[in-house]
Amino acid sequence: MTKSRHYLAALLSTMLAGVAMAQEAQVASDDIGQMNPEATAAAFPGRGFSPYADRNYPTQVFWGDQHVHTGWSVDAGAFGATLGPEEALRFARGEQVTSSLGRPVKLSRPLDWAAITDHSDAAGVIFEIRDGNPELMADEQPRRWHDMMAAGQGVQAASEMIAAQSNNNVPASMKDPRLAMTVWQKNTSIMEKYNEPGVFTAFIGYEWTSNAGGGDNLHRNVIYRDGKAKADEVLPMTTFDSENPEDLWKWMQAWQDKTGGYLLAIPHNGNLSNGKMFALNTFLGDPLTREWAETRAKWEPMYEITQIKGDGETHPSLSPNDEFAGFEKWDAANLAGVPKTPGMIEREYARRALQEGLKLEAELGVNPFKFGFVSGTDTHTGLTTAEEDNFFGKHTGVEPSPHRWEHPVIKTPEVNVMGWQMAASGYTGVWATENTRESIWDALKRKEAYSTTGPRMTVRFFGGWDFDAKDAQTRMPAEAGYAKGVPMGGDLSAAPAGKAPSFLVAALKDPYSGNLDRIQIIKGWVDATGALQEKVHDVAWSGDRQPGADGKLPDVGNTVDVENAIWTNTIGAGELITVWRDPEFDPALRAVYYARVLEIPTPRWTAYDQKRFGIKMAPEVPMTVVERAYTSPIWYTP
Amino acid sequence: MLKRLLHEPLLHFTLAAVAIFVAYGLLASSSERRADDIVVSAPKIEQLAAVFAKTWQRPPSPEELKGLIDAYVKEEIDVREALALGLDQGDTVIRRRLQQKIQFMTDAGADAATPTDAELQAYLDTHPEKFETAAEAGFEQIFLNPAQRGEAIDADATVILAKLEADPALEAATLGDASLLPAEMPPTDIASIGNIFGPEFAAAVSAAPAGRWIGPVASSFGLHLVRVSEHRAGRLPALGDVRDAVLREWTNDRRQAIADERLDALLKRYRIVIEAPEEGASP
Repeated sequence: MTKSRHYLAALLSTMLAGVAMAQEAQVASDDIGQMNPEATAAAFPGRGFSPYADRNYPTQVFWGDQHVHTGWSVDAGAFGATLGPEEALRFARGEQVTSSLGRPVKLSRPLDWAAITDHSDAAGVIFEIRDGNPELMADEQPRRWHDMMAAGQGVQAASEMIAAQSNNNVPASMKDPRLAMTVWQKNTSIMEKYNEPGVFTAFIGYEWTSNAGGGDNLHRNVIYRDGKAKADEVLPMTTFDSENPEDLWKWMQAWQDKTGGYLLAIPHNGNLSNGKMFALNTFLGDPLTREWAETRAKWEPMYEITQIKGDGETHPSLSPNDEFAGFEKWDAANLAGVPKTPGMIEREYARRALQEGLKLEAELGVNPFKFGFVSGTDTHTGLTTAEEDNFFGKHTGVEPSPHRWEHPVIKTPEVNVMGWQMAASGYTGVWATENTRESIWDALKRKEAYSTTGPRMTVRFFGGWDFDAKDAQTRMPAEAGYAKGVPMGGDLSAAPAGKAPSFLVAALKDPYSGNLDRIQIIKGWVDATGALQEKVHDVAWSGDRQPGADGKLPDVGNTVDVENAIWTNTIGAGELITVWRDPEFDPALRAVYYARVLEIPTPRWTAYDQKRFGIKMAPEVPMTVVERAYTSPIWYTP
Repeated sequence: MLKRLLHEPLLHFTLAAVAIFVAYGLLASSSERRADDIVVSAPKIEQLAAVFAKTWQRPPSPEELKGLIDAYVKEEIDVREALALGLDQGDTVIRRRLQQKIQFMTDAGADAATPTDAELQAYLDTHPEKFETAAEAGFEQIFLNPAQRGEAIDADATVILAKLEADPALEAATLGDASLLPAEMPPTDIASIGNIFGPEFAAAVSAAPAGRWIGPVASSFGLHLVRVSEHRAGRLPALGDVRDAVLREWTNDRRQAIADERLDALLKRYRIVIEAPEEGASP
């Protein structure tokens, strides 16, 4: 797309009142109401940021996984994964491939995009030219580079090699991959080959795998908006360089300064961080500062809330009134099996972090935990499988087999996490205008995306001051949504006198999955005494159920036939839509709202395994699952 | 060069690849050095600094460079001790890395090749199934919600269909129930229609005649009356429109062929003995 069209689109979009409001809210979200050119620039990378180019607003969800490891990740390879990034992309695009253990495998439907995020620590330099390997020295060019290096001109030699590689100017005799600088360049070439704008987006990315202090999971996926040319200019950050996330952010800043491109980082598995993911001090133990908060919020607009290694929304001990909180929990230890001690769980889950963020904003002036929700599989098989009936497991050791449920996925002297505890999750739905790196990345940056545990339900979530019941009776809720409010990821402020925020929320089921049980809106806030509060509101549900005296909606029921691993959609609804207004709104208090959509119970992957392998699992193994979607939040700031 | 290397014994590769784990510094002037010297040569230091600069976009400070050198010395000691103990043997990670490097070398041969347009055209002609565009259909649909209509839904569908047949110009939006499902879709591939409405509905649309209302068609949402506006058959695109994809697939095939050839050639140099487990023993 040309630059002039971007200008035009930007102009057009500001002419639409509601749309302009959404944009202002976006600026505020990065800078809490103060116009700061740098923050604005960060929120609108290039001229292509406008979500309204080509159309007035995104009308389509693009489905993907931002977290796939292949055999190129050292740990995945050690478990026997032989599929590389190429096979992983072909699989994500919907092609049939053969798994590392020899089973043919295919997705029910192609994904629209994927990020292959092998560990950067394995993307290292293969740098034999430095050694003056006699084989290579027989050729003139490597000999010259070697001599340059020996003469202390290593940086120039390296630059020449990179230039030769990226311009495809390497003479045939120089194609020996021992001259290839890095596994990284090989990786970016593959991403480039499979990235087809409009058809399938292959993001360049990697996982920075910090296991600080012996297994405290501070992992981040770094996702590139740009292509190979920029990505190759700089080596990925490794944890040999540093395990401190602040250093990753510095690396990202240096990368952007150098290349003029854009990056974002997505943390995951706070549940395995032993209290470190959302700690209320820095990595080195110092108090948080405004600058720290700004930096974190700038680089980490999204959090991976659910994946195979457990769900990270909330924990029953943090949300005792939420009967759906005890979902796919991995809460015994960190990634290395070091058991948790009291106080850790408070710093590990997304819902609590959203509330803490409001409090920190009051103290520091900036909310460091102002993130939206995505999900991924974090598969180490190269196979992004998040569907219960097609689940290929966390790593190659737990690909489908009659015994995988009873084999540990994490095994230490103190803690075992058993195979059956794997969650077949999840995918990310992105509201973007087109299927390109730029458009999808921009949507992630502005948090107009949501997480699901696998099913591809369509979910809309808008906040504003003037939604009314009529807005929920239209076929096109987005018309009213964008005209009268902000989409998921947006901000509300300046409450009109006497008004409470209203939310237009709609969900359409995945036709391949279960019907919908209900939509809930979860509100988090800090009360007048400074205490963190949360409340789960049922706002739309199937059938004619009436909430009981305790305010709880009756159960939707359960049609799962575990023995045959089937269910029927005779309960639940195909779609749900409503407008909900916060009945307890106090305009003086900061608040955050997000929607959770629940399906009716369906068979869990364990039920399919049991049926297909003709086995019987232990009684503690769950056989049904309530699949769900989590929208990115909308924030209210007084 | 690659071809020549390929004719060297496998052992040669293995030794060359293992070199990454072997002292860099020793290579400079090993004849004058003792085996237990760890020499961090000026070129090695330059390399450490270059990799740092490539990551951080600035040269290391003197303290950072000292840290890099210290880390390298420690790594070198650990690697030598480990090699002396034979710890590189039977290590899956090391073996996979070596395998990966061999694979990269083989791949390079395929990636370097530049096929002619005639070769690509021939590939396109012999593999049409890889490049054909999917069949598409555009349609309107009127949704009947079973939750609202209950038992009457089938009769309602018949009545509405009769109205539409009597007056094809009837405004479809005034009939049926409100829904988030799109009332109208431009020509869209059948699989994508299935992703929204379900595969059964997509199959029915695919088979429906264009230009008139039909139904009721069942989906997992309820019942629909459908009028297909247009069918577009799948077709084989011209090479110019799919050149990148054809090149990618051609290269992949070639890479696979080279890898297979290489394995076949190497297999001839080895005598493979598979000692099958005894009868009754679990594999």
